[in-house]
Amino acid sequence: MLEIKNVSKFFGEGMTRVVALQDVSLQVRKGDFVAIMGPSGSGKSTFLNIVGGLDCISSGEVVLEGKRIDNLDENDLVDIRRWKIAYVFQQYHLLPSLTALENVLLPLTFRGTKSAGDKALEILGKVGLEKRARHKPSQLSCGEQQRVAIARALIGSPSLILADEPTGSMDRKTGKEILDLFEQLNKEGHTIIMVTHDNETASRAKQVVMLQDGQIVDKIDNEKKEGKSQSTE
Amino acid sequence: MKLYQIVVRGVVQRKRRVLYAAFGVVIGTMTVVGTLTIALAGEAKIYDQLEEYGPNLTVIPAISKLDMKLGSLSLGTVAVGENYIPEGRLPQIRQITDDAIRKGEGIQYEGNIATLAPKLYMDTVVKDTSVMVVGVDPEEERNVRTWWMLREGEYLAGANHALVGAVAAELLKLNVGDKIVLNGSEATVTGVLDETGASDDYQIFVPLKTAQKASGKEGLISSVDIRACCKLSPVETIADEINQNIPGIKAVTVKQIAATEMGMLDKLNKFMLALASITLAVGLFGVVNTMLASVHERVKDIGIMRAVGASRNQIIKLFIYEAVIIGTIGGFFGYLAGTMLAYAIGPLVFEGVVMAYVPQYLPLALAMATCMAVVAAVYPAFNATKIRVADSFRAL
Repeated sequence: MLEIKNVSKFFGEGMTRVVALQDVSLQVRKGDFVAIMGPSGSGKSTFLNIVGGLDCISSGEVVLEGKRIDNLDENDLVDIRRWKIAYVFQQYHLLPSLTALENVLLPLTFRGTKSAGDKALEILGKVGLEKRARHKPSQLSCGEQQRVAIARALIGSPSLILADEPTGSMDRKTGKEILDLFEQLNKEGHTIIMVTHDNETASRAKQVVMLQDGQIVDKIDNEKKEGKSQSTE
Repeated sequence: MKLYQIVVRGVVQRKRRVLYAAFGVVIGTMTVVGTLTIALAGEAKIYDQLEEYGPNLTVIPAISKLDMKLGSLSLGTVAVGENYIPEGRLPQIRQITDDAIRKGEGIQYEGNIATLAPKLYMDTVVKDTSVMVVGVDPEEERNVRTWWMLREGEYLAGANHALVGAVAAELLKLNVGDKIVLNGSEATVTGVLDETGASDDYQIFVPLKTAQKASGKEGLISSVDIRACCKLSPVETIADEINQNIPGIKAVTVKQIAATEMGMLDKLNKFMLALASITLAVGLFGVVNTMLASVHERVKDIGIMRAVGASRNQIIKLFIYEAVIIGTIGGFFGYLAGTMLAYAIGPLVFEGVVMAYVPQYLPLALAMATCMAVVAAVYPAFNATKIRVADSFRAL
């Protein structure tokens, strides 16, 4: 469903040019759960932003469900963000002025969908927050806020969920609960790409892609449980 | 959930920032509403004076100049020419005037309706001092000059009676019972008028026939003041009909005479409005700055909204809706503040003016303030759409 072909991304020009991604290629199939791992500055978040159409590329191609999205204009990218891709951020990124329920409804509001309150409540129930629907983010714990962010990602039934260190700012127990939720969502058929620098978090994914200095240096298939590395470069 | 609900929630969350932006709108709206309210009160004062003045029309010879004063308002210079109106025209003038009023107001009454006060101006010398003696029809004149009060003595009752204006009495040292000589004819001062602040203060009034005889202008008059019966009488129509039907005379409405005064007021209003517009522009920049700061503060929120599917147009709409809220708040309080400002300053600008709040200015203030806030929001809104989602998160 997602094909990354020889994608490079540079910041700056000339002497100040910084390579964020260098000739990265990757294929993600429908129903995959891919963890992108690597140290800080390895290009993980840039990779995720490019896949989500939030950042442009310097060269290469990004194909989502058979359609190139790297060369789309702003309006088409808005459509991709509305209908195909959803994000879960490390810092949750909820609007502080809205309640949990309203935050979940946000993507549908921008789509122009009317009266989806019941659906939002149902999804909040799915992430265990039905009773906290009327609370504002400031009244919720970190784990609860991330669950709201996940519910917000789910409400639009996207083809692909992108998660940027979703457990990065949580304690171990809460992080585990969130990962359980991601695993469950994946079992229900959602395709997930998750950026993390934590081995334990990555171990919950079906595939692990190791990034270093903007290049893929390793791919691990957890499903085969062979623990055997395959060099790609 | 609708877009406007997101805006309302945001406004509630950022009350202080929104009120700060609204403050700029309040200042701008306040000055405009204050200026307009004061101007309206000033205009009303002038119209009240016109109403108090008595006559709605003055009929003069077609080639002539007359001293026209309305209370404290100067309406032109004095220059009585050698042209006169034959007294015989009066019935015709009355006929036209009364007919027009009957038609305009739907009045059936067949008798006299309007008050016609003929005058003959005579520049003469009393006690070695040049003075304007005015021959009047005592009864009609009193109906026109409703504000006349006697300081002492009696009103004109006999042919050789004279009524002296307050200043003239003082300058000429005239008291009740004194005799004056008008071109050889003797008259007795029977009354002295209270000061009116108008040209009346400098004049001596005698019965029309006495003045005609003294000046040798029997059967002639200098002008006729006409007071139509009612506030809504068709004075312009009366003037037109007199001008069309009676040759050699000119009927001028007091409104026309007061046009110069109103013109001055209009210029003053324009100047005040120009100053108010500058305040409005300064307020506008205040709102632009506040909105820009708001965009800067909300980079993350805008990034979040863009990430979950908001288009650029929707982001612009969010800012415009917020501007509408700011404009509505600013317009309402600007109206209140402007009205209070008018009540405080109005009496200083127009002495003795009675201030009144103008409810019609509320929708005007709301519309103007909203337009101002929306205009101010456009640039920040477009700036907001330029925020790239990835950058907004990187900046955190």
